[in-house]
Formats: sequence, structure tokens, C-alpha cells
Amino acid sequence: MVSPVLLIAVPLGLAFAIPLFTLFWKGSAKYIPPVALGFNLIVSLLLLPRALENPVIVTIGGWGPSISINLVAGPVGVLFSVIIALVGLLVSVYALDYIKEGATEKYHTLYLLLLTGATGVVLTGDIFNLFVFFEILCISSYALVAYHRDKAGIESAVKYLIQGAVGSSLLLIGIGLLYGQFGTLNMADIARNIKEVGSISVFVPMVLIITGLGVEAAIFPLNAWLPDAHSSAPSSVSAILSGIAIEVGLYAVVRVIFTIFGAQSILLFLALLGILTLLVGEMCAFSQNNIKRMLAYSSIGQIGLILFALAIATSYGVTGGLFGVLSHSLSKALLFLTVGYMVYGAGSMEISALEGMGKKMPLTCLAFTIGAFSLVGLPPFIGFPCKFLIVRAALATQQIGFFVLIGLALLGTVIEGAYFFRIVQVLYFKGEKSNQPRAEAPVAALIPMFIFVALIVIVGVYPKPVTDVLSSAASELLSRTEYIKTVLGGIL
Amino acid sequence: MSFLANYIYYTGAFGLILIGLYIILVKHNLIKVIIGLGVLDTGVNLFLISVGYITKGTAPIFSKPDIDPERMIDPVPQALVLTAIVIGVAVLALALSLAIRLYQHYGTLNLRKIREQKW
Amino acid sequence: MRRIAAILLLVIVAVGISRSLVKIPFGAPKKKVATHYINEGVKETGSANIVTSVVVNYRGFDTLGEVTVLFIAAVGLGAVLTRSGGKETRPIEPASLILSTGCKVLFPLILVFGSYIFIHGHLTPGGGFQGGAIIASGFLLIYLGCRAGRISPEASKVAESSGGLVFILIGLLGLLFGGHFLSNFLPKGTVNTLFSAGIIPIIYIAIGFKVGSELAGIIDNLIEES
Repeated sequence: MVSPVLLIAVPLGLAFAIPLFTLFWKGSAKYIPPVALGFNLIVSLLLLPRALENPVIVTIGGWGPSISINLVAGPVGVLFSVIIALVGLLVSVYALDYIKEGATEKYHTLYLLLLTGATGVVLTGDIFNLFVFFEILCISSYALVAYHRDKAGIESAVKYLIQGAVGSSLLLIGIGLLYGQFGTLNMADIARNIKEVGSISVFVPMVLIITGLGVEAAIFPLNAWLPDAHSSAPSSVSAILSGIAIEVGLYAVVRVIFTIFGAQSILLFLALLGILTLLVGEMCAFSQNNIKRMLAYSSIGQIGLILFALAIATSYGVTGGLFGVLSHSLSKALLFLTVGYMVYGAGSMEISALEGMGKKMPLTCLAFTIGAFSLVGLPPFIGFPCKFLIVRAALATQQIGFFVLIGLALLGTVIEGAYFFRIVQVLYFKGEKSNQPRAEAPVAALIPMFIFVALIVIVGVYPKPVTDVLSSAASELLSRTEYIKTVLGGIL
Repeated sequence: MSFLANYIYYTGAFGLILIGLYIILVKHNLIKVIIGLGVLDTGVNLFLISVGYITKGTAPIFSKPDIDPERMIDPVPQALVLTAIVIGVAVLALALSLAIRLYQHYGTLNLRKIREQKW
Repeated sequence: MRRIAAILLLVIVAVGISRSLVKIPFGAPKKKVATHYINEGVKETGSANIVTSVVVNYRGFDTLGEVTVLFIAAVGLGAVLTRSGGKETRPIEPASLILSTGCKVLFPLILVFGSYIFIHGHLTPGGGFQGGAIIASGFLLIYLGCRAGRISPEASKVAESSGGLVFILIGLLGLLFGGHFLSNFLPKGTVNTLFSAGIIPIIYIAIGFKVGSELAGIIDNLIEES
């Protein structure tokens, strides 16, 4: 009888035990995150069939739903924890060889705690618990961005910290206003009491909470911290930040809007904001010369596209958005992992320094190319069914506004294709410095990269089983009354 | 005047929040910004506590078995503020350690001059 | 220019928030969740201090998260402030006689007071975090007064890790014996005595050790650096 609590309690326990392990066996710290995340992956996959029929609801402490905190492991929650555990496991295997200097056991502790915080955010059903796990996620990422302790890292971490801390304070004010009016902190209970969003006493907390969560979700104009932070962090950390942290932030925004507030009136505004984020991200990425900064701006662009898809708020739209989350996690994590060793081999992050890498590290550059094509949306990779679903969702709404916006989104995709093809050209077709010694990335890095490649290709060619899971997850997000009935009616 | 007597705690809490936000938005020295963050945290905690007050209430501790439970104040905001204070302390500690390292690298704490990362 | 924009933004925020505060009158009577805690709290958890039963038992998961946040701050601070070179030794000037003697006298008293606060968390105001902070201030006094003393990093690591592990183990034992994570499976005893309230004193003692050693570790890292 597996309980969703184990998904949070066991990694926490192992993370607390890492200092004890390093006292007895030095250097054992780097093996603990893969063990913990492997456990999480197995438990989430075991929970998935049960969660698809009925959300698994677990109370902490055993009293009724509003009296204690409850975890709601529905299709969305378990889907996200599968993605978090999978990407986290592969990146932690990569980090076995990649992280060599500095206080390495502290890196591994912070890494495991970041992923535990992310799992807690997606599984919880109580809004203050969401705040606490969200803070676990954010504070570990502030510390991990500064891990290399060089000039760029510390400066980016300071700016990220200040913006993130202001965001969390706004989130807390919103939670306080909600508690003062409704007297409860359970998401389903608050949702039951909110009939309409028009009154100002409900509108103001909603704006505050969305702004607070939006700093981490990288919605324009709250994403000024992202290019600096994702480009100065170590590459394995950038992979996790771009692949998991901003998606989990976006999940929190969407959960608040759909389930707690049920706000239909601001969805058009969110769709506009999503397309604006997409265009700003892609246009800034096009003019970059630093490859990690370019990938960071591309993350902003993709989050804009996913936000637009989720704001369409039909079953197709939300399914497309969730598929976008899966596709972006896998592709962007793969891109950052390959760039890590490419930058290490070239000695600099400028794109011009990467000329001819295709001959020096052929396997790594092949993985990069597959990741790039998948992000742009070429078949047979995972990006293609994702973008196809989003376009179909926008066209199915039959509203002229959405037609215009999806046209702009396709324009953004074209720009994205342009700058990724430019990099592929630099990697393979430039640079006459032949006779470079082959200096391939180590095996511990190649295995995760090629598992990502395999997943990208498999899900791209057979998307049907994945889309079935995603559409039941989408219906859980969209149906507010179902959620309230399941949580409050089920365990009384 | 009775408006002020009733809402003095809310006014104080929001005054602190607005002062903290102003410091963070306007000042250039990193230590002043961190102090502003501390003021903002204090304001938010004060606001959360004042949500839980009952008029003429007392602390929710049953130290004698015959204390009237109707007159006890709400215990939940106190638990929320306990957590929020600790989280605020954690963020401030991390911010100060980053400020130490930043000063070692740049020699100054003026945020306008620390702009290595451009477009 | 920037000041004017900031003031404008703050005026909008202030107006918005004050208009929504109308629904939360100051001193309003309690709503349903709070009434349940106060009326049933002593019977269900056995602790006389209702705030403690909310923090540790009803909303114990938040406390677990809070303990984790403090752990992350201590580890992150250690990671940012690691010195890659060796430790440089500077001549330490000894403190004056009054200061060093006073510190040596006060330190055990502060430790006893801090321990009293976290052991009696379920009877009087206080608890693990407050007691841990007092213990850490005792260590700060030692750093300021007897300047050559340092806490041993191994002892601090053991205290920190075992505090956190005890918390999670009690939660998992609750899952095993009571069917729910963090359920109160030990006997509740009589109210207002020291050995009452099931798992609450044990968790608070673990938290007290953890927070005390963590904050002392943070102070140690910052003093090493300066």
C-alpha cells in the first residue's frame, strides 16, 4: 500500500542523513540523490494507475479534510512527480562526474531538497503548505545558482533572491487575506466559498498570489532574473531550473487560477501575456552570443507558449499545455546537459568558440541537435505532437482573437528554428580546425543524455499513451466542482 | 477616531510593508535592500497576527482546566507566523552570505555598479 | 524618476489592499476551523498549549517544511562561504576579564533556560524553535566572550542530522502504527503534566536540538569569514 507521503518523506529523510553519511564514508554524498529519486520514480509509477481513476487523498495526521493538511495525488500531481523524478534522476547521474570542486556534499543535499520541494508543491492540497514547499524550492535554487561562487554566479543569485523574496512576501499577504475572509487554508474549502471573482476582496488576493507565484514561473514582466540565473548556474542546475522549477511554478499559478478561484474572466489576459512572453523570449534569444543565455531566453519563450495553451482552458488546450511541459522538460534538460560538456571542452560560453565541436564530441553534439530539433517542433520528436495539439486547440476555439495569437506563436516558432539552426550550422559545418583530438564527454554523462534522446524519440513517435494520461490530467485541472467534491466528500 | 483605534494594527502592518517595498525598489546599497527585505517580512508577519485577534481575547493555553474557550484567540495565524518568521530568517541569512561574497569580488555594494551581465 | 514610479506603484497596492480589508474586521469572532482546534484540541492531542498542537500535530507538515528551510539556509550558507584555500589564522585579542568570566557563568544558565523552553513546549508558550534560538544565542555569547572557542563541526553535524531524522522517523512510525503520517500514536497521558501529549514533546526536543545546532553553525560560518 504505497502512500503519496512517501514521495516527500523518504527523500527528505535521506537528505537530512547526507551529513551523517559523509562523516563515515567520504564521497558517498553523490550516490544518495540517484537512490532517492529512483525510489520516487518507482513509487510515482506505482501510484499512476490508481491516481488515474480516482485522486488518492491522504491526510497528514488523520483528522478531517480542513482540520489537517491533505495531499491530493490526482492525475496532474502524479504526472508531475513522475516528470520531476525522471528528469531529476537522469541529471543526478550526470552530476556524478560533472560536479567536482567546491563543497560537493552540500550541492547534493541542496539538489535533493530542491526536487523534494518541487514534489511537495505539486502534491499538496493546502495553500499554506504550497507556500512552504514553494519556499523550499526557491531557497535551494538561490543557493544552487551561487554554487560556483564566481562573479557572475553571485551577482545573478543576489538579483534572483531579492526578486524571489519580494514575490514570496506578496504571496503570503494574499494567503493572509484569504484566511481572514474564509477562515480555512484548504484549497477545496476556499474554492467552495468563492462564488465569483468580481468582488474586490477576492480579486486583490488573487492578483497578489499570481504575482508572487509568477516570479518563479517566469511570466513577463516578472522574469528579469531568469537569463542571468540560468546562464551562470552550473549546467546540471540550469537543466533542473529550466526543466522543472519554472514548470512547477507555472503549475502553481494554474492550480490557483483554475481550482481555487475559478477565474474565467482573466484567461484572455493570461493568453495575451503568454504570447507576449513568447515573443520577447524568442526575439531576445535570437540576438544572443552566449549559448547558455540563449537557452535561458528560449526557456522564457517556451513558458509563454505553455501559458498560452493553458489559458485556452478547453480540454485540448490544457492537454496541449501539459504536453508542452513534458516536452520542454525533456528537451531543455537534454540541451543544458550537452551544453555543459560542450562549454567545458571549448573553454568559453560564446557560440563562436563552439565551431567544429561536431567533430570533437560527435555523440554530445548529436544529442544537442536532437534536443534542438525537438524543441523547434520537428517530427519525429516530442515537440511535434505538442505544438500540433496547441495549434489544434487554438483553432478549435473559433474565436478570431485566438487565431491572431496562434499566428504570432507560429512566428515565434520560426524565429526559434532560425537560431537553433544557426548553432547546428556552427557545430557541424564551420571550423576547419581538423585534427582535433576526440574528447568525448564521460560515460556517466552520456548515459543520461541518450536516455533523454530515447524518450524524446519514443514519445514523439507513439504519443497516444502519453496523451491519454494527459487528457485525464487536463480534465482534473479544469473541473473545479469535481475537485471540491472529491476532496471534501471523500474523506469525511 | 474609532476607525483608527480599530484599524491601528492593520495600518501599522501595511505601513511597514509599504516602507519595506519602497526601500527595495529605490535604494542602491545592497545592505539597505536587505534591511528593506527584513522590514517587509516584519510587516507581513504583523499583518498575519492581527488577522487572528478576537476582541478582549486571551492566549490559547489551557493552563487551568476551567478557562473559558470562547475567549481564546485564533491559534492558526500564530502557527503560520512561526513558520513565516523562520523562512524570513533563512532568506536573510542566505542574502547576507551572498553580500559578503559579492563585496569580496567587486569591492563595492552599490547595485548600480554591479552590472556585469548585460543583454 | 524611479522614485516617482515606485511611489505610484505603492499607492496602487495600498489602495487595493485597504479596500479588500473591509471584509476582515479587526477582532471578528473565530471561524470554524479555529473553533474546532480550541474546543477539541486538548481532547484530541493532549497538549495544553493549543498553538503547539496546531504547529506540531494538526499542521505538522508545515513544521517539517520549516525545519527543512532552515536546513537549506545553513547548508547554502556553508556552500557559499566555503574557503577554497586554507584557514588563515589571525591573532585573536582576548576579551576583558569581566566579559570572559561572565560568559562562562552565563553560558550553562542560557543552555538550561533554552532546554526548559523546548521541553515544556506543550505546557507553556514556547517550543522547539524558540528554545533552539536561545541556545544559539548562548553559543554566540561564547564566541564574543571567550574568543578562542569554536564548536566542533562533527558534533554540530551529528546534532543537526539526528534531529531531522528523528522527526521523519516519528512521522513514518505514525504511518506504520496509526495509518497516517505524523499521527499521534503514543499515549496522551493527563493534560498539564510533563509526560503528556504523545509525540509532541519528542518532536519539539528534536527540533530544539536541530535549530540550536544549525543557528550556531550559521554563526560559526559567518565569524570564520570575517
